[in-house]
Amino acid sequence: MNKKKLILAVALIILLIGSVSSIYVYATQTEESTISLNGQKYSIELLFFIAESRFIDSLNISGLALDDLMLKVGAGLPKHQEFTIVGADGYQKTVEWENMKNGILTYEKMVVFSDLPKSFRVKEVVKIEAI
Amino acid sequence: MEKKKLFAGIIVFGSLWGFAECIIGPILDDAGLPSGAIMTSVFAIGLMMVSRMLYKKRGMQLGMGIVAGTLRMFNPFGGCVICSAIAIAAEGIIFELIWYYMSLDLRELKTYIMKISMGLISAYFCYVGGYVTTQILTPLVASANFYVWNLIVFIPQILSRGLLAALIGGVTVPLVLIIKDFNINSIKDKLYYSTASAVSILCWIFIITNAGFLIG
Repeated sequence: MNKKKLILAVALIILLIGSVSSIYVYATQTEESTISLNGQKYSIELLFFIAESRFIDSLNISGLALDDLMLKVGAGLPKHQEFTIVGADGYQKTVEWENMKNGILTYEKMVVFSDLPKSFRVKEVVKIEAI
Repeated sequence: MEKKKLFAGIIVFGSLWGFAECIIGPILDDAGLPSGAIMTSVFAIGLMMVSRMLYKKRGMQLGMGIVAGTLRMFNPFGGCVICSAIAIAAEGIIFELIWYYMSLDLRELKTYIMKISMGLISAYFCYVGGYVTTQILTPLVASANFYVWNLIVFIPQILSRGLLAALIGGVTVPLVLIIKDFNINSIKDKLYYSTASAVSILCWIFIITNAGFLIG
């Protein structure tokens, strides 16, 4: 295959992969009004009743303390060391208990960590699982 | 072409790219636009393509990625700083790899189909490759653990988002190629170096001062 044909073929494959993955993403999209914490579903309002708040000075942002939240739902230390936070778009991040002690869940359902880069922020959280 | 002239080109084009990432990227993000796809397919691909055409030298875009990524590190605002810097540098490397086997006079790109195809390929691989690289390297740089499963489950989203970047890239490259016949050596040395220095210095001063003001 010469160079021109190869370029054309790769471009067509890219369009195909991009289109198929877009259809897949659209078809598997979920809209959850609740957050699943270790298998149990909770509304964000209820969570704000059961867990303590935390304010991150450096980011000027407040929310529920993630470590306290997981302890209240029975998924904290010493039984569990790692936690996976999943967003509605499938974006997920696994963090350690030490990170949870510096993390918050905001009322807008976003998880923020003061000790980790912004790529560890998960928007529209639908699930937090202890692993 | 003299090495000094090429080096000045790397600095000025890298600085312009970094400046766009620091200033225009966050503006697009605040406007609710897909800033990642636009920044890659318009600014990154556009500037790398212009420099490839004007200087006709391999390795230049890699250098530009390093300069732009470094400048991005100086601006602590608008998205993940370390992730952006890694993604920018990765885009420079990926562009270089894609274009390595293309002739320096771009004679393969005579037809619009070829121009559009190379735009699609460059933008898609730069976007997807940059995204994946940053997902792997950011946790390592931040002393956090990298979990391969977290990346695997998000791959369909990354591949899907890359489609927009590819489509825009398919427009950017043919547009940039309109100025293909411009000869950078036709610019007098004095004018070339003074303009390159002034533009580069302005970009760096603006970013550093802007960051200083926002922090202070």
